[in-house]
Amino acid sequence: MKKQDKDAESATVEAMLDAARKTPPPVPERLMARVLADAEALQPAAVTAPARNRSGFFARMGEFIGGWQGMGGLVAATCAGIWIGWNPPAALPDAGALILGYDTAEVMSTTAELTSFGWDVDGG
Amino acid sequence: MASDDPLSVTDDALLVLYANGDPGAARTLTARLLPRVFAHAQRLLGDAAEAEDVAQEAMVRLWRIAPDWRQGEAQVTTWLYRVTANLCTDRLRKRRGVGLDEIAEPQDPSPGAVAQIQDRARRDALQEALDQLPERQRQAVVLRHLEGLANPEIAQVMEISPRAVESLTARGKRALTAILAGRRAELGYDDEKAG
Repeated sequence: MKKQDKDAESATVEAMLDAARKTPPPVPERLMARVLADAEALQPAAVTAPARNRSGFFARMGEFIGGWQGMGGLVAATCAGIWIGWNPPAALPDAGALILGYDTAEVMSTTAELTSFGWDVDGG
Repeated sequence: MASDDPLSVTDDALLVLYANGDPGAARTLTARLLPRVFAHAQRLLGDAAEAEDVAQEAMVRLWRIAPDWRQGEAQVTTWLYRVTANLCTDRLRKRRGVGLDEIAEPQDPSPGAVAQIQDRARRDALQEALDQLPERQRQAVVLRHLEGLANPEIAQVMEISPRAVESLTARGKRALTAILAGRRAELGYDDEKAG
């Protein structure tokens, strides 16, 4: 092949590539719509502040123990504990006397009130 | 928000915005990247319907990788060209042995639109010639001469050295010239020179 012909063929290819580069195939509308639908479906949720912004200590504690129902139960149990400690039923032994090692029921009964709250320690 | 001015935001910044739930980021990224992905797929496959599927799948992979994308490590376009080329390679392997005569016939143009017919004939001739190139040569020629990428970026896309890119594009262009030799008159280039 002559050099002139070779150059002409090479120029033809250059011209074809140039024309193709300048006119890329148009993106079909349906493809654009499909891609945007995929993007929406796969997009992670937006990072926003939570709707219930209860970040205070008492709010968090309230949630921790189960809201107002949990708080009500806790208050009731506390009151019952104080009442039993203040005025224990006669049938029950005094836990304080048992721990301090008093053996007899008499001692236990006379010391019951003193040992109930540990006042015997303070009183000498 | 940064995506209010889409032109000033880089691709990977937009991808991070998308991952953070910005609703406008996907639209900007799609408008910016899909034409390139689709054109690349069509030029590698020579089939518009298959190119649509490949382009959609490549973009799905982009949306999926968005939360893990590391800004500044790689260019989004480089990554996308690579994913697109790999998807095209899979398709080409599956259809290997199938004839290449599936290119659509030119649509009936309006009377007198000779220029349109000629443009279409030239595009088809170029695509037919590209289809005959070995896969890697075709990819290199398309990236260099049709997508307009520089050799270093092509090297990243194809995961080869820049010298290998030069070699592939040179051989690819020589092969194109050989395939298209003798079609100058048919494609109307002789007339243009004469005129």
